[in-house]
Amino acid sequence: MNQPVIRRPLWLSVLLYAILIIASIIVLFPIYTAFNISLLSDSELASYPPKLFPFGFHFENFARALEQAPLARYLANSVIQSLLVMFGQLITATLAAYAFAFINFKWKNVLFLVFLATMMIPWEATIIPNYLLVRKLGWTDTFQGLAVPFMATGFGTFLLRQFFLKIPKELHDAAIIDGASDLRFLTTVVLPLGRPALGTLAVYSFLQTYNQYLWPLLITNQPTMRTVQIGIALLQDEERFMFNTVMAGVVIILIPTIILFIFSNRQLIRGLTAGAVKG
Amino acid sequence: MRKSLFSIMALLVVASMLLAACAPAATEAPAAPAATEAAPAAPAATEAAPAAPAATEAAPAAPAAATNTVPPAPPANPTATIAPPKSESVTKIAFWHSMAGDIGGKAIPQMANDFNASQDTCYVEPIYQGSYDDSLNKLKAGLQSNDTPAVMQLFDIATRLMVDLDVVTPVQNYIDAESYDVSDLEPNVLAYYTVDGKQYSMPFNTSTPLLYYNKDMFEAAGLDPENPPRTFAEFEEAAAALTQKDGDKTTVYGAAFAIYGWFFEQFLAVSGGQYVDNSNGREGHATKATFNDAKGVAILEWWKRMYDAGIMANYGRTTVDTRNAFLAGQTAMFIDSTAVLRGMIEGSAGKFEVGTAFLPRPDEAAYENYGTIIGGGSLWMISNRPQEEQDCAWEFIKFQAAPANQAYWHTMSGYFPIRKAAYDEQLDKDWVAKYPQFATAVDQLHGTKINPETRGALIGVFPTARQTIETAIEEVLAGVSTPQEALDKAAEAVTLAIEEYNITMGLQ
Amino acid sequence: MSTSKIETNRDTSPPVGERPRVTSGMRKRAALTFGRAMLFLAPSLILFITFVFVPLVRTISLSTYLTDPIGRPAKFVAFLQYERLFSTPAFVNSMTRSIQFVLYTVPTLIILALALAALGNLRMRGISIFRIIFSITIAVSGATASLMFLYLYHPSIGAINYFISLLGFPTVPWLISDKTALIAVAITSVWLQLGLNTVILIAAMQGIPEELYESAMIDGAGSWHRFRHITLPMLSSTIFFLVVVDMLASFQTFTPIDILTNGGPLDSTNLLVFSIYREFYFNGKYGLAAAQSVMLFLIMLVLTIFQFTVVERRVFYE
Repeated sequence: MNQPVIRRPLWLSVLLYAILIIASIIVLFPIYTAFNISLLSDSELASYPPKLFPFGFHFENFARALEQAPLARYLANSVIQSLLVMFGQLITATLAAYAFAFINFKWKNVLFLVFLATMMIPWEATIIPNYLLVRKLGWTDTFQGLAVPFMATGFGTFLLRQFFLKIPKELHDAAIIDGASDLRFLTTVVLPLGRPALGTLAVYSFLQTYNQYLWPLLITNQPTMRTVQIGIALLQDEERFMFNTVMAGVVIILIPTIILFIFSNRQLIRGLTAGAVKG
Repeated sequence: MRKSLFSIMALLVVASMLLAACAPAATEAPAAPAATEAAPAAPAATEAAPAAPAATEAAPAAPAAATNTVPPAPPANPTATIAPPKSESVTKIAFWHSMAGDIGGKAIPQMANDFNASQDTCYVEPIYQGSYDDSLNKLKAGLQSNDTPAVMQLFDIATRLMVDLDVVTPVQNYIDAESYDVSDLEPNVLAYYTVDGKQYSMPFNTSTPLLYYNKDMFEAAGLDPENPPRTFAEFEEAAAALTQKDGDKTTVYGAAFAIYGWFFEQFLAVSGGQYVDNSNGREGHATKATFNDAKGVAILEWWKRMYDAGIMANYGRTTVDTRNAFLAGQTAMFIDSTAVLRGMIEGSAGKFEVGTAFLPRPDEAAYENYGTIIGGGSLWMISNRPQEEQDCAWEFIKFQAAPANQAYWHTMSGYFPIRKAAYDEQLDKDWVAKYPQFATAVDQLHGTKINPETRGALIGVFPTARQTIETAIEEVLAGVSTPQEALDKAAEAVTLAIEEYNITMGLQ
Repeated sequence: MSTSKIETNRDTSPPVGERPRVTSGMRKRAALTFGRAMLFLAPSLILFITFVFVPLVRTISLSTYLTDPIGRPAKFVAFLQYERLFSTPAFVNSMTRSIQFVLYTVPTLIILALALAALGNLRMRGISIFRIIFSITIAVSGATASLMFLYLYHPSIGAINYFISLLGFPTVPWLISDKTALIAVAITSVWLQLGLNTVILIAAMQGIPEELYESAMIDGAGSWHRFRHITLPMLSSTIFFLVVVDMLASFQTFTPIDILTNGGPLDSTNLLVFSIYREFYFNGKYGLAAAQSVMLFLIMLVLTIFQFTVVERRVFYE
């Protein structure tokens, strides 16, 4: 849980807050830029000195974006797809990471390398065969087509393994000697202790999926099955590229992810101290 | 923690269902008989959809018997929704396109709705498939698994490839069968899409490059804003006069060209140069690149000279960066497609007046003999679709080519009408009056002689060639190589790509 | 948790060379254990085999062909594509640029994320707001970030050069010069990855037992000393994880290049994975792209094995 605030001399507190605020401004500036541009008029977009504050508040860009692309529907599809992938990855990665962290089996290192190897293959190498497969399965324009190919994760397995390895192995040995099954140990001990890592993976996999473009484009034709990044592309007229309309679209799809992130962030980071292994 | 995480997720699921319910779900609306499509497995979306109001509001008010001559009035409340088909017996066809923004979001759905309402046998569904490259790749993948549209919009430079792949039904077949009158269509535009004497595809979105300039800056520099530069030499002089410096810092550049292969192709065409052999690939397949001759070299020498003199800016490969510099008043002249005209006029409103002129040429004589190449895209009919779908595809292609629809298309998109009669439509007359700068584009198109140079090169590896040229231009501007060296190297690379293409396509 | 014993490596499999005598009972138990493990691995493995490794095999075979522009093998050429790769300066350029890019991004990323995580771990009022801010880029997609940076990098009207000129420095031709374009792409990419790195490091820092710091305080250690001798070692397994993951991600950076530079100027940002994309997606040279994919895969595999055999031994799992 949150540790107590430490007493510091005033000057140090002021200095630290100053540093925190400056760092925040730098990190936030590009995101602020997106919000700013989304509220500029066409003629304000390109001007010197650059318009750093959207005093005109041209909300019509949002209307224009929503008129050009059915973003609300796309948003819903993306959320469903992302949740499916997220739960899929949490399950497969937890199981696999458990085996890599707690079971000593033959070829463990080789198999772990196989998992890592999945992170090393450029998407160009797999996307066409996967498309042909999904088409053969009749999964085009379906949520299983959008989600199933991404339900296993090398990254997630690696992440969870690193956290699981910090759980003392004696706990596992003791539990097994006491006659507990692996599954029982996993659900009663490992999962509660691994919460922060699981939370991180959940947010990460959700957002990775949410941000996919090519795969949904390839395997969907129905507007009712399309996802948000295709909607953003639909705003990018190559000949008449309007930064303000595009950014309005970006802001529309960014707000849900930022809200999700803010709500879950507290959960992610909080409590490793509390959660971490008190015996 | 798990509890709260789950409650967030639950919230998201509910929110997404609500969104799905509110979103215009035309094809799943209960009134629509189109509900036979592949049902999504996850129930969330399908269950939420019936709550959606039937999207009949998208259907145009025009009577169903509307013929091609009834001008489709711009909808008062445009939506991106496609009205469902009237009955189940219609032939449904897919139309894949790459038009984003207002064009893909409003103009194309509107045209599709009008077409669907105009007759009872065919139903076209436009589907945005990403950029031209995205959609070409989707087509390539789809050809291996029969996931193809009946009508496919592709960019100009895919023409040779599409013909060689032998996956299309030339529109010429239908033109001949019906004795469809093409005499009113723009001859230069048809010339581009005619291969081996056959018109393969129907032009759709057509553009040419123009010189855009800042009239206010012309006046301030003592130049005549109604008399823009016509030749390379005049352009160079004007650029020098327009450049403004504040100490050693340049505040306004006379001109800026984005590093874009299409511009080089255009300068080559107005110089009377050919890109590849066999008459620009128009009399048999090209076998080698020829853009490294004196005409090509002269273009890059001119470009480089202005760059070194500090009167030509370089804003990199993204054309939007150059456009923004122009709109911000940091460069007085630039070149870009006719399709950006409306954006330039709207973006400069209240700041300065935009002028347009013909693309500059090496000398006055070039105006007599040569001209610009048309760019943009055209509509192809994919031959592996059933016959009735292809028939419908042809009906749709004819529909969009009708004068009233071309006038609508022209005014909505800023692309050329492909038919001269479109200019007689009231809608079009009003638009041209509003954007008089477009007249330059029409004059330039009509003043262009048809010859192998202005018909444009036909090569199967055009995307590769463009990138190679772009790198060559960068090498020249950076002073890494001379124009001759850079173009020689580029020609060698493009020739190699052509040879490999010819081998893999079984052309050798 | 006992902190006195720090194992350097959990792997208890016997070192090569001193093979213990194997009895049939042991063999049976090993087989059972293996089966038990496979139950846990099966869901992932089935998905990986279907959607990753089977396609990969096809790619490897495709790399020995010239393909037609649709991607169907047209002519068997054995190792010609590979020979071509190594004989063209373009591939060598892409390799060196990729390595340069990894060297620009990975260390910067880890150091910045450590700094932000350390700041975010200060015990001050309102710190949780800063933690959210420092990790917020996790919510931003590569395409979105790149569009924002495209606007910011504009040579004359971009905000970055505007600030630079306000401070009186000469402006930087970010995406236009071959000397700065890779750095500009690297900055975008670092910003984009910073959130994930920071969130993972903050989580790991929170897990360091309080007692360690308390005893150090009693010893009178300064804050830098505490960071150097307690925080960093205790974070080593997390940092190791991030180095591996960041390196793999960095090698495969694609979206910022596609949107910001298109591989230019002068091929200075034509990293290996962008070059693969270009050949595959743009030029229709599937065989060549496949050969490059295989090379990229091998490079990353070797580097990862190196990291696990050499570096991971120095990592504490505690």
